[in-house]
Amino acid sequence: MNASFKRFLTTVLLVLTAIVAVGCSNKNSEIITEKPEGAPDTWIADRTITGLVFQSANDAGIDMNEEVLAYIKERTGITLELQTVTNDNSTEALAAGLAAGDLADFVAFYLNNSGRPEMSLLLKAANEGMFHDLTPLMQNTKVYSKYLEEDYLPADTRDNIMFREEWNGASYLVHMAINRNGGDVGRPTVGGLYIKKDIVDALGIDPNEVNTSEELVELAQQMKSGNFVDDNGRPITVIGPTAWGGSDRDWLYNDLVWTGVSGEKFMKDENGKILHEAQTNYGIERVKFVQQLISQGLMTPEYYTMEETRAKEGIVNGSFGIVSDMHNYMPENNDMTYIPLGPISRVDGTNDMVVSYKSGYAGWAIPSTTEYPEHIMQFADWLASEEGKMLYFYGLEGRDYDLDEHGNPVVKQEVLDLKESNPEEAKKLGFRGVGAYWGEHLAYTDMDNLGDFGERSYGESVTGEKASAATEILDLYQYEEKFANARIIDGMTVQSFLYEFEGNDGGLSTALSRYNDDVLRAYYAKSIEEAQVILDESRKNLEKNRLQEFLDFVEQKESDGATIKF
Amino acid sequence: MENVVVHNGVLKTKEELEKHYNPVKETLWTKMNKHKIFYIMLFPCLAFFLIFSYWPMAGLILAFKQYGFNTGILGGDWVGFKYFEQFFNDPRSWLYVKNTIIISILKLFVYLPFPILLALMLNDVKNNKLRGALQSITYLPYFISWVVVVGLMNRILAPNTGMINQAIESFGGDGSKFFMMEEGLFLPLVFISYLWKSIGWDSIIYFAAIVAIVPTLYEAAAIDGAGKLRQIWHVTLPGISATIIILFILSLGSILSSGFDQVYLMQNPGNANVSETIDTYIVRTGLQGGQFGYATAIGLMQGIAGLIITIIVNKITSKKFGTSLW
Repeated sequence: MNASFKRFLTTVLLVLTAIVAVGCSNKNSEIITEKPEGAPDTWIADRTITGLVFQSANDAGIDMNEEVLAYIKERTGITLELQTVTNDNSTEALAAGLAAGDLADFVAFYLNNSGRPEMSLLLKAANEGMFHDLTPLMQNTKVYSKYLEEDYLPADTRDNIMFREEWNGASYLVHMAINRNGGDVGRPTVGGLYIKKDIVDALGIDPNEVNTSEELVELAQQMKSGNFVDDNGRPITVIGPTAWGGSDRDWLYNDLVWTGVSGEKFMKDENGKILHEAQTNYGIERVKFVQQLISQGLMTPEYYTMEETRAKEGIVNGSFGIVSDMHNYMPENNDMTYIPLGPISRVDGTNDMVVSYKSGYAGWAIPSTTEYPEHIMQFADWLASEEGKMLYFYGLEGRDYDLDEHGNPVVKQEVLDLKESNPEEAKKLGFRGVGAYWGEHLAYTDMDNLGDFGERSYGESVTGEKASAATEILDLYQYEEKFANARIIDGMTVQSFLYEFEGNDGGLSTALSRYNDDVLRAYYAKSIEEAQVILDESRKNLEKNRLQEFLDFVEQKESDGATIKF
Repeated sequence: MENVVVHNGVLKTKEELEKHYNPVKETLWTKMNKHKIFYIMLFPCLAFFLIFSYWPMAGLILAFKQYGFNTGILGGDWVGFKYFEQFFNDPRSWLYVKNTIIISILKLFVYLPFPILLALMLNDVKNNKLRGALQSITYLPYFISWVVVVGLMNRILAPNTGMINQAIESFGGDGSKFFMMEEGLFLPLVFISYLWKSIGWDSIIYFAAIVAIVPTLYEAAAIDGAGKLRQIWHVTLPGISATIIILFILSLGSILSSGFDQVYLMQNPGNANVSETIDTYIVRTGLQGGQFGYATAIGLMQGIAGLIITIIVNKITSKKFGTSLW
């Protein structure tokens, strides 16, 4: 080989190596830790903090407003950069992201509770040393140090997510959306079944009195024979899907689902033994119920599959007699076309309001590759402080809001008008009140809106939400009375013990998720016999994956003092 | 003149004659150096295949290892054939294999003549503008993503509100049939939508092969009295048979991969018995659960099955038709 050819090959290889090295390396910008003269007390470091968010594009909120970013930079020295991974399934994205190992300064993810599918991935990553220990970092903070107080966190967050026994005081995951006060539900919300108000009036029924699936069928049959039509003059579909599209939610047949408030299909029988739904007849009873509704033309066959756009279209046109899940703040229902129905009682016959002592929603962690992890914690602490929260929730003082004599924000009318007339343009102002969710990942915790801002929801003091459809619905539902009598529970769901039971094996976890898919298949089986075969096969699969051993394990946990939330 | 001899009527020196009968053996490097410009041109292709096709193959080791985020692909413990056992111990695994093969057969065998027929038809459209328009119309669906195509199907075939059901209703029918949820209609819908989306694009290569056939062959056939159909049968099809065989063998490699996007999007509880394939199963249980080893093991089986079938068919076509990949 002649020398010039050798040189050529060497050059090409070097260039390729350089490209790969640059592509694979983190963007390590300079970090200046020395506080400049005149910097505010809130200054942390002159550096960029990148966050990789494994959530939907809207929830990730990566497009930030320049003025908001400039304010953050001025107050903390931090340049915040958020990235997200585009994927329909956030768990899949998280799995791929963790496997790739090329993580940002912090990662954020969905995590309602420790029974969620993301949890096993996060525990595996934490146990394999992928995250920094956060306990020492939290100790000198103002807001996050509350997490170290004994009764601040709900049991599941404390014992299963953040301070697991085997970690001996270390913590690798931060659970977010923790309310400052126990039993505080924040903005009062009525979810679940809704029915068209004009049908209620025409039939002369009390929607609060429909509390069993049998009563619901009777009502549906009355609605069918009433020949009601939608806004376009077409016959209504008596039972439509949720406002967010096809989904299997329990509201429609609460009394036929073997669960309490957790929705995990575990419950105790009359002898106090924990059973999974597959070990009871509730699965097949629900199949019979659904097949009856579909065969009688009472429920749309697309109940479990309809796309969100078509479901919303149906609500706007009043095409569904009953909507299977929506809430009182939905803009599509501002004219109160729909009002709450039921609720259908749970399988144990109870129908009261149950409130979690506190509950989380999402989480974040600092990869062990991050330099100066204390900067991330200090920055999160600043964002969760009064100043950070005000910025995230209300934007910039003078531009987006003014302060009243009590120091509470008064939202500018022009911002509210813009939000009403052009929500997308308003969102560009870059704060939570107008739908930009960049701060959700680090700031949204230690929540007490009423205490911090003098109002439960954004702009309430200006718009007077008291007179809105949302509050009228609360009255119709007798929310205040139900809330006053609500049971407050703090405990761990059955599935939150799954990882401890099976580790990385994942066999039972997959079998449980397959059971839910199988129930859906059974709804559409050609006959009850075929449905029974599907459910039997699913039960056997659960048994093969050690379901009974797991139930014994949970019972042992309970007898050891754990509070189980069914 | 002492050193000069006549060789094949040409005057040559003794050295030249020596060189002719005892040529210096060139080393590989010398040969490569001689043709270096071609090697330089080949280099990007080699680099591409090394980086994107061969290097990732090292990851197949994961099919036999316990994957850890910290240990990566190479560092985990060996688990032997655990994942393969797990797959075949699943009572439904054969159903997934069967579904995959059925859908693949539809797409490989049943579908095969359609793009050829389209290419033949396009070849006989003599008006260039009309042919261009027809080609554009048939190619365009290829560029629409499966998300949009299945979304359209959901709309058109929706019960009560869909176009087809409304037409049925207007003729006095029921109009509430949920076509997408019907198990018996899943395969026909997969085939029709695949045909609509892919036929134009896949016909391009056949069309190019037809155009390359020497026109004198047609003239000779016409002189011999062959009509249009005879010409297609005796000239066109033999002329493009090598292309058909090569494309067919290449596509056999993916016989255990029935096309993820389309099947996944069309899957629903009603058709799960016929729509759960190996690909959708890998995503459902392997990737969503972070079980990379398990997913790799199933992927490896798909690849090996594809390779074996390709080798067998390649051998058969080589013997029977004299055309093969290698």
